[in-house]
Amino acid sequence: MTGKDARKGLWIAFFVLPGLAVVFTIILLPLFMSLFNSLFSWNQLLRGDFVGLGNFRKVFATEPYRTRFFNAIGNNLTWFLVTMLVQNSLGLFFGYLLSRRVPGHEFFKRVIFIPVLFSIVAVGFLWGLYLRPNGLFNGFLKLLGAGSLQRAWLGDENLATFSIIAVNIWRWVGFPSLVFLAAIDNVPVECLEAAYLDGAKEGTIFRRIILPLIVPSITVITVLTIIGSLNVFEQIFTMTGLDGSPNFSTDTIGTLFYRTAFGSVDSGNPEIGVGSAIGVVIYALTFGASILSIATLNRKEVEL
Amino acid sequence: MTTDLRFRGAGPGRKAVVLLVELLLCAYALLVFYPLANMVLSSFRSTRDILRAPFALPTAFDLANYRAVWVDKGFGRYFLNSLWITATAMTLVLLLGSMAAYGVSRYKYRLSTLVYMLFLSGIMLPLKAAIIPLFILMKKLALVDKPLSVILIFVAMGLPSTVFILAGFMKSVPIDLEHAARIDGCNDWGIYRRIVMPVVAPAISLVTIYNAVPIWNDFFFPLVFLQSDKWKTLPVGLTSFFGQHSTNWSLLFTGLTIAVLPVLVLYLFMAKYFIRGMTAGAVK
Amino acid sequence: MRFKRSALVLLLALLALGTLVAQTTTLNFWTWRPEDTDAYNKLIAVFEKANPGIDVVLTAQKNTEYNTILSAALAGGSGPDVFQSRAYGGLETFAQSGYMEPLEKWVPELKAFDKAPLRGATSIKDGKVYGVPFASQTLFIYYNKAIYKQLGLSVPETWDQFLANLQAMKKAGVLPLANGGKDGWTLEVLQGAICPNFYGANDFFDAVMTGKANFQDPRYVGAIAKLKELTPFMPDLFMGVSYTDMQSSFINELAGHFIGGSFEAGYFSAQNPKLEYDVFPAPVAKKGDKPFVSVYADGNFSMNAGSKNKDAAAKFLKFLAGKTTGDFFIKDLKQVSAVPGADTSTSPYIQKVLSLQKNNTPYIMLVGFRYQQPTGSVLLQAALQGFMAGKFDAAEVGRQVQEGLATWHAPFQKK
Repeated sequence: MTGKDARKGLWIAFFVLPGLAVVFTIILLPLFMSLFNSLFSWNQLLRGDFVGLGNFRKVFATEPYRTRFFNAIGNNLTWFLVTMLVQNSLGLFFGYLLSRRVPGHEFFKRVIFIPVLFSIVAVGFLWGLYLRPNGLFNGFLKLLGAGSLQRAWLGDENLATFSIIAVNIWRWVGFPSLVFLAAIDNVPVECLEAAYLDGAKEGTIFRRIILPLIVPSITVITVLTIIGSLNVFEQIFTMTGLDGSPNFSTDTIGTLFYRTAFGSVDSGNPEIGVGSAIGVVIYALTFGASILSIATLNRKEVEL
Repeated sequence: MTTDLRFRGAGPGRKAVVLLVELLLCAYALLVFYPLANMVLSSFRSTRDILRAPFALPTAFDLANYRAVWVDKGFGRYFLNSLWITATAMTLVLLLGSMAAYGVSRYKYRLSTLVYMLFLSGIMLPLKAAIIPLFILMKKLALVDKPLSVILIFVAMGLPSTVFILAGFMKSVPIDLEHAARIDGCNDWGIYRRIVMPVVAPAISLVTIYNAVPIWNDFFFPLVFLQSDKWKTLPVGLTSFFGQHSTNWSLLFTGLTIAVLPVLVLYLFMAKYFIRGMTAGAVK
Repeated sequence: MRFKRSALVLLLALLALGTLVAQTTTLNFWTWRPEDTDAYNKLIAVFEKANPGIDVVLTAQKNTEYNTILSAALAGGSGPDVFQSRAYGGLETFAQSGYMEPLEKWVPELKAFDKAPLRGATSIKDGKVYGVPFASQTLFIYYNKAIYKQLGLSVPETWDQFLANLQAMKKAGVLPLANGGKDGWTLEVLQGAICPNFYGANDFFDAVMTGKANFQDPRYVGAIAKLKELTPFMPDLFMGVSYTDMQSSFINELAGHFIGGSFEAGYFSAQNPKLEYDVFPAPVAKKGDKPFVSVYADGNFSMNAGSKNKDAAAKFLKFLAGKTTGDFFIKDLKQVSAVPGADTSTSPYIQKVLSLQKNNTPYIMLVGFRYQQPTGSVLLQAALQGFMAGKFDAAEVGRQVQEGLATWHAPFQKK
């Protein structure tokens, strides 16, 4: 290695090592420890014998873990699909409107991100209050004459998850909106003006010019949505509790993991081995799904 | 601009569309301000009152609740703790994150992708899942009940996304600027500090808001690691209003209002740079 | 000579100084009751006055995070000296992991405690006592005396009389029953209050504990089915009504009945001092039956096996097992203290609860079935949510509970 290479190596180390050290110690090390934990059986808080993949077999093959696990994954999938379809489309819609500089767009640009600033506790509480049977939302429906549409939004098995997702969308839609706004603003104005002058219609311009050019931002939002949907926890915890009430319909692998690994007053003592196994599955799924989507979407990128 | 969706001078069809869109956006804005107003107004009422009539206006605007929360419950100290812990963590995130992003994006070497992926993996791994090993680790480092423990955790949580975002920006700084600086005698640190960082300044505000808000609002890690009253942060203080069988809604709303104010101020102050940051070739 | 005398004086002075600078031991004390912080600090002040060398620092953790924080602290080697611990199943986490100190030799006062609360402090693994029980809780029905007087109702004894009262309230436009279904544990409480009188109380409990009967037994299923008869009297869309909503309607005198536990009273009185309420045990099936109430030990005070201040901790625990604490629980916290011989004259309410406790049965899932996952509680809560919402019938509730418990409850596995 030449002197220049050695010096370059030292510079790289200087820039990268401090951050890497923190990430390694605080994130990766405990991750490996919990991976380690998942290979043992546990008696309460004490580690027992080595059981290899025994805990994983428990999660996938024995009751009640199996039903709970697949029920939870199903809910995570619901989270992902609804968030992708509703939140990100809305984000795209808002981003597009704002890029078209509708009247008041400077104001709306700022307002749209405010819900992100609330703490999750505040959001869960306030919306929990509004979604009560005699709360604001039902009252509003009654006002509109749609009284028959009143429901127990957080108490009905068929509606609870969707209600929580709706609140989550309220909270986060500002983020994809601004990201898409930025991306659309990056499309060269000359391209668009030329298209307009050629008489192309709005829809065509959007589909053929804008959409392909903003694929990188779509990738980022998709990956973040996948990660978010797999890790969702606090929103559910504050609105319907740790047990996925009512009747496990809001349960996700996040709440399942927390319940199993740490226990709770009602659901019992911690099962560290099985809980760590669920944690490992969460890691694997998140990692795998992110890599997959990055790879797939990268192929769709279009350069100008 | 021809691409603007304007109202004046437009045909009736377009006017209708603009009107509809405005209505939609206004409705959303209402949906944003109402909970905020609700929260602030509720902080002036008693718990029983809030439960009885959640949407009524307060009868008096005395600051008794605020005094109770700030002085009696010690929120003054928690607020300061949150402030300096968040500020320290953010400074470290920006410093270490920008350095790491620089080291990953401005040099070509075989390990660069691996290092980048190592940082990125931090986004995908929920740290809460490893709380017991993490606690044992902190115990070994003798950091339990010391603010440094949560500061390190927050930095570790903020680095991956910071590196992800800043590396993207830094990649697009033209190499010529760097060459010119080297000819002028700048070393690598000088290039980082004087050339690259100023160019990605808009992204800094984006990264700041993106990380500062979750750090400010996090209650889990300070709850587990900071056990002495003198180190507690604001969100941890809020948990003291949740009893086993009763919740002190009145003081809770007061605490939440106090907690959201700095973030709101920071955001409104940085909004201009923040939005510019997102608009400056961000996503690549 | 003078030198020797001054040396002696110096030595004496040093000795005096040494005893003056007495060792102040600090005890860390954790509870899961943030709402009781002020009250506990008053109790602690009494202890500290009598024990000048000991300083007790109270930290109240959020109840839902308490187990996690305690586990992390104890597993990590730090942790409080004295702490509240859960009863029955919840005790095992720390007892079997070796984080709790067996207390028989430290706190001989425990010998005088009743068997029922001690059961919640004893580990099923080794039979040792790991905590000083602090309170017991009882489940029954609260009613608004003013509304009863207004409608000319009398306290019901049988199920039919109870339904008649509920019907009368409904006709008069009053919400008969505040209970809802959003918080699963409130449904478990509903079961705990109403069902024992239908499934045979202690006979059934002993049977399921020994495996002679299981939860698909018609007695249990029939008892669960009775709960459905209450739904017409619950609020509209009751599946969305949370515990806070329930408390709110009873406190604000919008509801006539509240089926809950002895832990409600303190909050009711604090929020609405003018509220006139009383309690009656859940109604019986037919006239002449003895009404039973579900009772359980709420929790204990335990010592950290790794504490560096065991002697001081023991002193504090002995205090917590003593009459002052017993009286405090009754007077200041309005809880039924587990301490034998505590003074109940300060609270007619507690006296009423104690009289109801004469016919007690264990609160079935909490006492007997929280030893492993899935607990009877979580199985029952989820099943009841489905049942009360009309998704399936009572037999299915029994089946779900039985299937889940059979995975670990040994007596159910001998088939």
